[in-house]
Amino acid sequence: MKNKWISGVSALFLVLLLPFFNWIRVVNLVDLFSRIGVTKDMAKDLLTGYNLYNLLSFVQYANQGVLGLFAMVLLILAVAAIYFNVAFIIRSLLRLKKGKGELSLLSAGKCAFLFQFLTAIATIVFVVFSNVHFKMTGFLPGVPVILSAVISLLAYIYIKVLEKKERDKYREHGLWVELKKNWVLFVMLIPTFVYFMINNYLPMLGVYFAFTSFNFRDGLWSSPFTGFKNFEFLIKADLFRLTKNTVLYNVVFIGVGNVLQILFAILVSRVTVKWFKKTSQTLMFMPYFVSFVILKVIVYNVFEYQYGLINNMVTSFGGERIDFYNNPSYWPFLITFFYLWKNIGYGMVVYLATIMGIDNEIYEAARVDGANDLQQIWYITLPHIKPTFIILLLYALGSIMKGQFELFYQLIGNNGVLFNATDIFDTYVYRITMTQPLSIGLGTAAGLYQSLFGFLIIVLVNYVVKKRNPEYALF
Amino acid sequence: MARDLDYEPSAPKTIKKSTGTRIFEAVAYILLILGSVICVLPFIIIVSGSFTDNATILTKGYSLLPRDFTFSAYQTIFKSPKDILQAYKMNFYYTIVGTGLGLMMITLTGYVISRKEFKYRNTVSFLIYFTSIFGGGMIPWYLMYANVLGLKGSTLAIWFPALMSPFLVILMRTFIVGAVPDAITESAKIDGAGHFTIFCRIVLPVLKPGLATVGLFLALGYWNDWYRSSMFSTNSSTWQLQFYLYDLLNATTAMKQMASNVSMKTADLPTESVKLAMAVVATGPVLLFYPFVQRFFVSGITVGAVKG
Repeated sequence: MKNKWISGVSALFLVLLLPFFNWIRVVNLVDLFSRIGVTKDMAKDLLTGYNLYNLLSFVQYANQGVLGLFAMVLLILAVAAIYFNVAFIIRSLLRLKKGKGELSLLSAGKCAFLFQFLTAIATIVFVVFSNVHFKMTGFLPGVPVILSAVISLLAYIYIKVLEKKERDKYREHGLWVELKKNWVLFVMLIPTFVYFMINNYLPMLGVYFAFTSFNFRDGLWSSPFTGFKNFEFLIKADLFRLTKNTVLYNVVFIGVGNVLQILFAILVSRVTVKWFKKTSQTLMFMPYFVSFVILKVIVYNVFEYQYGLINNMVTSFGGERIDFYNNPSYWPFLITFFYLWKNIGYGMVVYLATIMGIDNEIYEAARVDGANDLQQIWYITLPHIKPTFIILLLYALGSIMKGQFELFYQLIGNNGVLFNATDIFDTYVYRITMTQPLSIGLGTAAGLYQSLFGFLIIVLVNYVVKKRNPEYALF
Repeated sequence: MARDLDYEPSAPKTIKKSTGTRIFEAVAYILLILGSVICVLPFIIIVSGSFTDNATILTKGYSLLPRDFTFSAYQTIFKSPKDILQAYKMNFYYTIVGTGLGLMMITLTGYVISRKEFKYRNTVSFLIYFTSIFGGGMIPWYLMYANVLGLKGSTLAIWFPALMSPFLVILMRTFIVGAVPDAITESAKIDGAGHFTIFCRIVLPVLKPGLATVGLFLALGYWNDWYRSSMFSTNSSTWQLQFYLYDLLNATTAMKQMASNVSMKTADLPTESVKLAMAVVATGPVLLFYPFVQRFFVSGITVGAVKG
């Protein structure tokens, strides 16, 4: 880039973000502390100035839950700003280029400066908000805040000018032009936007509850901030068991499930009698349509102690009744079995669609060359369904930390005897939500851990896949 | 031309099958029959149980074929059908509203992110997919609807959260890309058609398999859901059918335990066969509907990547 020096702004900003610069100063100590009810023993933990990283400790020690979410957002913004600025510096130094000219580099810079600016502005808003909240001037923004707000704004404007020149050169356009050109498409996306905002993106703010200890008096957003206490409790209590159960079940489901689905898809594709082909497909797909409540009825009727089908058969052959519902060791197998029972038909159809797409002439040629059935499957069918398999696998890995909640909850329910072998994150959180309103923090912490862990796994796997063969990558 | 259409590219029947092929086919038939039987068996248990006299179930247990055939379980259900009819009505309401709206939103989104000229198609796809790999978790989600929007007890909270799913959006996009070649939309655009015209006149008419598949997934999800009722319903008149059933089953189990403790009369409880009859009644519509859409369904669930 011609204007390499501009990444120097990023470097300056990173320096300003270092922990020994106070972004927020606490002034009028005596007044402020008396107003927010800080006692002497609390005051000794408090400082007169805070950088972005220890701001939460003020929230915690001064018992000011109201400021918690704000401080959290600030911290997240700061981390994001660091990430984008570091990325920008690296890219402009290494001259990484993708696409047309320097456009991608410039947009990286734009992103970096935007976040830098947002962090500074959010700090100022934080200060204003807390001053208004306590009805006095107790907080002031530090010098670095003003400094980085000004320089990031200037740098942003400058890079915007550069980008415009570059765009004119390559006949590219930005959001505004796109909006004018394709406004119908944007209108079509409005309902979707509203839906995902309400259903997914706004609730993400709620992960803040994971760091609080909820009580009814203070309410959701003002409950005391407790840092990682909930996570510590989880680690001591259930985290290992839940992780192990969730991941192990999913690994078995994915592994055995895919093998059986591929196997049956191949078998169906090799069968020549048409009505048999259709009937077996229909029958094996049927369980997919059964609700989990009905599945509960089925399982109960088959495995019940007194009247259950199996115990009925066992006793008629003179055996002892088996008490399935009080013995955890059977359930991993039963759950796996019923998962497979419900899902094999579905996956089979997905694979079958791929197999049907293979050109018949390839098989003809192989047959002429004397390949037998197994060789045809091994050398033609399997390689052809590999892309489908990898994509399904990646989608499945994306939700490896998410359990089959309905399956587990309906089969096991609140039968505590079986929890050790069958409790997964989703059932655990559901029980907390429904029965212990005071453990909101704990439940959210479990959910957040689950989400982050799963996210890291899929990003990592996708990265590896992309490195080896970009065609198979999910994103 | 007519001859070409009749031509079937299957293997010539005159070639004699080798022994290996015969063995292979035999194994295939056996395995498929086995798989089908296992898949169907539980249905038979339920149906035959629902036609069995309750006293027989209590003395002899469940069986594969109905013993002491009777309609009494179904008669019991439809003697006082008010509750179950209400649950049925609500379930149809949720399914129709949710599937209709959801299908519309998913198709529109699928169309937008399949447009090559739309600069942000990959960004939008990723933002939608992202919701399936990262989220706030169940509790913030619940609080969003119950506290922030105040929808606890409202029917909106039952159908709204399941309108879309990243998987279905991506599935729909794959369908659209496969069904509508770029050349056609390009030429339509040259003729002066806007996006809305292209969507209604060109894309929708050829999208039947996609609409059927995604619609079926949506409808199935709505029909079989019990979970949102358990979270948001405050009044049993808004219950989903499956939750009504679930509640009934739980109540029976709980009552039975109480009854065995304090030796109270269990005559009023739904009997085992009535429970099974309920299960049949609740699943019936889905299984009746399935054969009509199966044709589309099997013809093409192809999964694609998030990026387009």
